[in-house]
Amino acid sequence: MNARLDSFSYDDDIVRKFLWATMIWGLVGFLVGLIIAVQLPYPSANIAPYLTFGRLRPLHTNAVIFAFAGNAWFTGAYYSTQRLLKARMWSDGLSKFHFWGWQAIIVSAALTLPFGITQSKEYAELEWPIDIAIAVVWVAFAINFFVTLTKRRERHIYVAIWFYIASIITVAILHIFNNLSVPAGMWKSYSIYAGVQDAFMQWWYGHNAVAFFLTTPFLGLMYYFMPKAADRPVFSYKLSILHFWTLVFLYIWAGPHHLHYTALPDWASTLGMLFSVMLWMPSWGGMVNGLLTLRGAWHKVTEDPILKFFVVAVTAYGMSTFEGPMLSIKSVNALAHYTDWIIAHVHTGALGWNGFLTFGMVYWLVPRLFQTEMYSKKLVNLHFWLATFGILLYVVAIYSAGATQGLMWRAFDETGRLQYPDFVETVMRLMPMYWVRVVGGLLYISGMVLGIYNIFKTWANRPAAYVVPVIQAAPLEPNYTDAHAAASGGLWARFSSARWHRRWEGMPLFFSVMTAVAVIVASLFEIIPTFLIKSNVPTIASVKPYTPLELAGRDIYQREGCFNCHSQMIRPLTYETERYGDYSKPGESVYDHPFLWGSRRIGPDLARVGGKYPDLWHVRHMYNPREVTQKSIMPAYPKLQTNLIDFPTIQKHVDAMAMLGVPYGDAINRAPEMAKAQAAQIAASIEAAGGPKGLADKEIVALTAYLQRLGRDIKNAPAGTVQQPPAAPAAKPVALAAPSAPPGGR
Amino acid sequence: MKLSDIMGAANLSVYAEIAMILFIAAFVVIVIKTFAPGRQKTFDAASRMPLDDEHPQTPR
Repeated sequence: MNARLDSFSYDDDIVRKFLWATMIWGLVGFLVGLIIAVQLPYPSANIAPYLTFGRLRPLHTNAVIFAFAGNAWFTGAYYSTQRLLKARMWSDGLSKFHFWGWQAIIVSAALTLPFGITQSKEYAELEWPIDIAIAVVWVAFAINFFVTLTKRRERHIYVAIWFYIASIITVAILHIFNNLSVPAGMWKSYSIYAGVQDAFMQWWYGHNAVAFFLTTPFLGLMYYFMPKAADRPVFSYKLSILHFWTLVFLYIWAGPHHLHYTALPDWASTLGMLFSVMLWMPSWGGMVNGLLTLRGAWHKVTEDPILKFFVVAVTAYGMSTFEGPMLSIKSVNALAHYTDWIIAHVHTGALGWNGFLTFGMVYWLVPRLFQTEMYSKKLVNLHFWLATFGILLYVVAIYSAGATQGLMWRAFDETGRLQYPDFVETVMRLMPMYWVRVVGGLLYISGMVLGIYNIFKTWANRPAAYVVPVIQAAPLEPNYTDAHAAASGGLWARFSSARWHRRWEGMPLFFSVMTAVAVIVASLFEIIPTFLIKSNVPTIASVKPYTPLELAGRDIYQREGCFNCHSQMIRPLTYETERYGDYSKPGESVYDHPFLWGSRRIGPDLARVGGKYPDLWHVRHMYNPREVTQKSIMPAYPKLQTNLIDFPTIQKHVDAMAMLGVPYGDAINRAPEMAKAQAAQIAASIEAAGGPKGLADKEIVALTAYLQRLGRDIKNAPAGTVQQPPAAPAAKPVALAAPSAPPGGR
Repeated sequence: MKLSDIMGAANLSVYAEIAMILFIAAFVVIVIKTFAPGRQKTFDAASRMPLDDEHPQTPR
């Protein structure tokens, strides 16, 4: 037994910093959410070019996930990790670097996304220089965390810490693999994956961002702060261990449920569904464990607003983890996918689970961190009720919006035609619900404002200098010795003794590396087949790369965030092929770096929009959508008629694509000339049709060229074509320039 | 010859089954170990860890 005692104190300064960041970025993220909620029913609220729905929606998602929830996790992690390990963070410098680095990344996101600088992959929109910065900050956080772990004075690693470890490792892996791209300039890059592979990679990332950024870290917080607030240990520690292991074994496989009925191979989609359904059980085990922690303390819930927040948070966790598996069942997904149902599901989780767990934790922390009474308990209570009714209004309205639109899309009349062939009709029906959402959001935000005011007033009452208690604890012995070591005993006694578990616990770094390896191996087994087994992505000979001008148009499509409202993926369901045309094939998106399949249809699918309307229709539509579709809620993009196409950079973009293996042939040498030739041709056709003159060097022509190309190649495939050599003849751009379709196409 | 040709010819699918067996075996060991009798005391000490900021519950 070591008699020497270490003296140390906890670093709460870093916790205070992260707490302020949580609340302030939270307010910003919610406000951006409110703005885009208003933009849908009231399109004039789109202020082109910087503040349109397509550019602000990624800002909202990034702000609430990485700024609000991220900072909330770090707040709780820095507070609980030090106390659970009985050790100060290893390096105050690295803690500070983590804090300021993370805030700088948030600011850079806010400064790039409204300018249309985006990789256009959901929740991974930030461009490559910022991605590198994220990796650096994350590694600093991980080093600080793991070294602290090795210097702990508590032998056992509490379950909350396990959840943090899994989150730190998995987020690093997800971030790196999904963001691999080839830069084409400082603020532009193309994903190294294309089409099906890119979609698979993205939703492996996207789903696990929800799992390992919004679920497991917050479960760690739940397992620490709920016992704290209720002043009693967790209901069942065994259950919490099972909860942890089941989640980490299952979660990583669930991603493909985001791609049901798409061009993803069916086996992958079924695999994702099965694992998602299995997730229901451990999730509910965790929920029950959280709620039962309050056993014998239910009378406190009526008086203590902190416990109220926690009870609603855990209930919301239970509801969304029941709904998630249900939505991952293919037949349910067919109705819900692309509709507001998914938005409602996400917000049950984000507003209820992440938001309320954060608020409960923050209100528990504030008096302890600022070492004074909470300024007003009444305001905390008011915050709780405002936010609760805000959530209710939001989700009830948006669930019904989702079901309404999903049912309208699939409705046939008695003659066998689509009952609502006009897409905009299915959008107009949602407007009342969109306004109810605005009211719900307003309530939720006013609760947040009260919270910040309350915390500010509490902070103002803080003592002149904080009391920093000095803790004394013995360092761990280098080797574990079991006090009740069984001298004898069979295999079972040895297996069930704590000894080998303790010895392994003494090697947290080794274990973290092993965990990382397991996660990577599991992921590769799911993803690699689509990369390496050819039958998974059958090629189509007539599908050719985009011309240089079309590529420039595609860049504009990405910049404006069109994919936030328009999918490019027609599912093989009668009501979809009836509305949009033949279903999308995996071979059609082999040159799509990145894929732009989308996840939500606020506007119609565009996978086969090419040739559907004349060029002039697109020019008018972009200038003011309401000129051609009276009730459209799309933002207007008049600037596209005056912005010049950046011809010189097209070469750089084509070269980057060629580097990724896209067979560009002749365009590698003369992309700008080819683009100019095609642009002149389209501009002439627009002028001949009675449209505006002099568009040959304007962005609208590039965007039109891209839109007119979508979904057309497959129609050029004669039966039994031989695989064409990749290098196309020089006349390619002319041959591929989409001629105007006869007017009258719907 | 592309990487996909090599990987396709290598016929690696058997490793998926091996990996699955390994993962399930690890999980079963964890479950048995967690619910094996005689560990309640250890878990009780562990579950008290968040409630005491100053004294290690599982020292040594």
